[in-house]
Amino acid sequence: MNAVAAHAPTVLVVEDDPHLAAGVVENLRLEGFTVHHVGDGRAALDWLRRERCELVVLDVMLPYIDGLTVCRTIRSEGNNTPVLFLTARGDPQDRIHGLEAGGDDYLAKPFHLHEFLLRVRAILRRWEWYQTASASPAGAVLRFGGNEVDFRAFRARSFNGVTQELTEKEAMILKVLAERPGEIVSREDLLERVWGYDVFPSTRTVDNFILRLRKRFERDPAQPKHFLTVWGVGYRFLVEGES
Amino acid sequence: MKTTRVFQLTALVLVVISVVTVGWWAIDLRGFITERTQDALKLHEQEVVAAQALLDAGRSAEDVRTLLPSVTVEGNKAAVSQSVIDFYRAEQQSRTNQYVWESAFFLLALCACIAVISRALRAEARVLQEQDHFLAMVSHQFKTPLASLQLSLETMSMRSLSSTDQRSLIDRMLSDLGRMESLVTRILDSVRLERGRVTLRNEPIELASAVARVANQLTDRAAKDRVAISVDVPKGLEVMADPLAVDVVIRNLVENALAAVGPVGGGTISLNARRQNGEIELSVRDTGVGFRPEDSSQLFQKFSRLHPGGGSSAYGTGLGLFIVRRMMQLAGGRVSAHSDGVGQGAQFVVAWPVAPTEAR
Repeated sequence: MNAVAAHAPTVLVVEDDPHLAAGVVENLRLEGFTVHHVGDGRAALDWLRRERCELVVLDVMLPYIDGLTVCRTIRSEGNNTPVLFLTARGDPQDRIHGLEAGGDDYLAKPFHLHEFLLRVRAILRRWEWYQTASASPAGAVLRFGGNEVDFRAFRARSFNGVTQELTEKEAMILKVLAERPGEIVSREDLLERVWGYDVFPSTRTVDNFILRLRKRFERDPAQPKHFLTVWGVGYRFLVEGES
Repeated sequence: MKTTRVFQLTALVLVVISVVTVGWWAIDLRGFITERTQDALKLHEQEVVAAQALLDAGRSAEDVRTLLPSVTVEGNKAAVSQSVIDFYRAEQQSRTNQYVWESAFFLLALCACIAVISRALRAEARVLQEQDHFLAMVSHQFKTPLASLQLSLETMSMRSLSSTDQRSLIDRMLSDLGRMESLVTRILDSVRLERGRVTLRNEPIELASAVARVANQLTDRAAKDRVAISVDVPKGLEVMADPLAVDVVIRNLVENALAAVGPVGGGTISLNARRQNGEIELSVRDTGVGFRPEDSSQLFQKFSRLHPGGGSSAYGTGLGLFIVRRMMQLAGGRVSAHSDGVGQGAQFVVAWPVAPTEAR
């Protein structure tokens, strides 16, 4: 979807407080990013439908349309651009809401500039890894057990012929597992590679995503042949399927 | 707070148990009195049988009447006495009535207790919820200027900036501090107003000069946001109010209008006043974002920061209009808001009683 950023990555900042927006924009520019700023949810959707960027820094409380709705809307329109939420509400429940809406990371206000920049870079790094890994013809498509996954289009055709639209996170988990077929990949490793180590409060999230992948690609999700649980450690992915 | 709640809940449980006991007592007594009446009637019937046996054995009617005075004896026939039956029935009725009235009174009193306690419990829960909401909103309101302040300071410490950039960051930080200071003032005002801890003076105030004072103070800020403030308040209109409260009300209304006009890239705010039916009305009309007509009553609630699109927004503190409404209530005046819809601008009208000198 997004081309690998050989140029300075473009960041869209959606923040309605003029002072905070100015601070964020200036700092991202000083870090070498190309930065655009809009002040409300409606303008953000308009911009994202018109333009491309590598990252959206999205405030949650916004005029017209709130940040969570903006994120859900672009995801439903097939836009997988990474989103970093900024919000004045920082309790774990709000964090979960943000990530469930399709966000990649979540930073509570007030935040440290250094941490903000680290998170921005971490999201871009994870995203760049995914893009690079899916760039070659060999890495773009994964075939297993009658399923065929197209990592670039975020689309798959499952064994029963049904077309599946993958979320960005499902595709990334699949990519991490497919890179190491037959090996045990720990939950922590999956969290780190896909979200960043401290985004989610627990590794339960990974389990939920694996369940979703099993439902999509296993003939019998209760008796998985490809996405195997290694008790107490993590998961093992088998291309051929367990006999 | 928690101990009170435990007491209230215990009292509620005790009262409920009492209701059940009184109910049971009433039903039990009713059964008891019916049973006693039937026993008495049965006894009377046995007396009749005994009287008849005596008559049949050859005792004179006179003897039988003396021995069993409650039995009716006619010739050599003993019969049930209607007056005895009536007496027992009447006694039963009177006792039943007594128990019904007594138990109804007790039940009513106990139900009133339940109503009072549950009302207190509900009121307390509401207060707790409001406090939580207030705290959440207050911390939320502070976080944005705090975040901006922190970001500016960290930018200065992390980077080497030109003196122009430094100056602009310092200006931004000072303005963030100003925002937080005004937030503190407004929060304190609103808390005092809500708890009724304000004593407002009541004296004649010349409205034109009060409006001019606020307008002058806000002209620079308005110009920055490309907003023109026009004032048409005839001289000599005097309202009966507290001078400070009038100032706060006008300032909050104009600041609210500024916040509504800013996002649409500029416009006008017009202030007009007129005398009508013993009141002086001041109208503040703006060409800003407006609001949905159905939201007009919500605007005056604490921390309601309605946004034209329907969601909440970061405009203002969400306390300005709450303070206005409370101050107008205390001043014996009124306030109302009107908008034709989103994007149609808005009009806020406040009305104070006319000062007696003016009324003359």
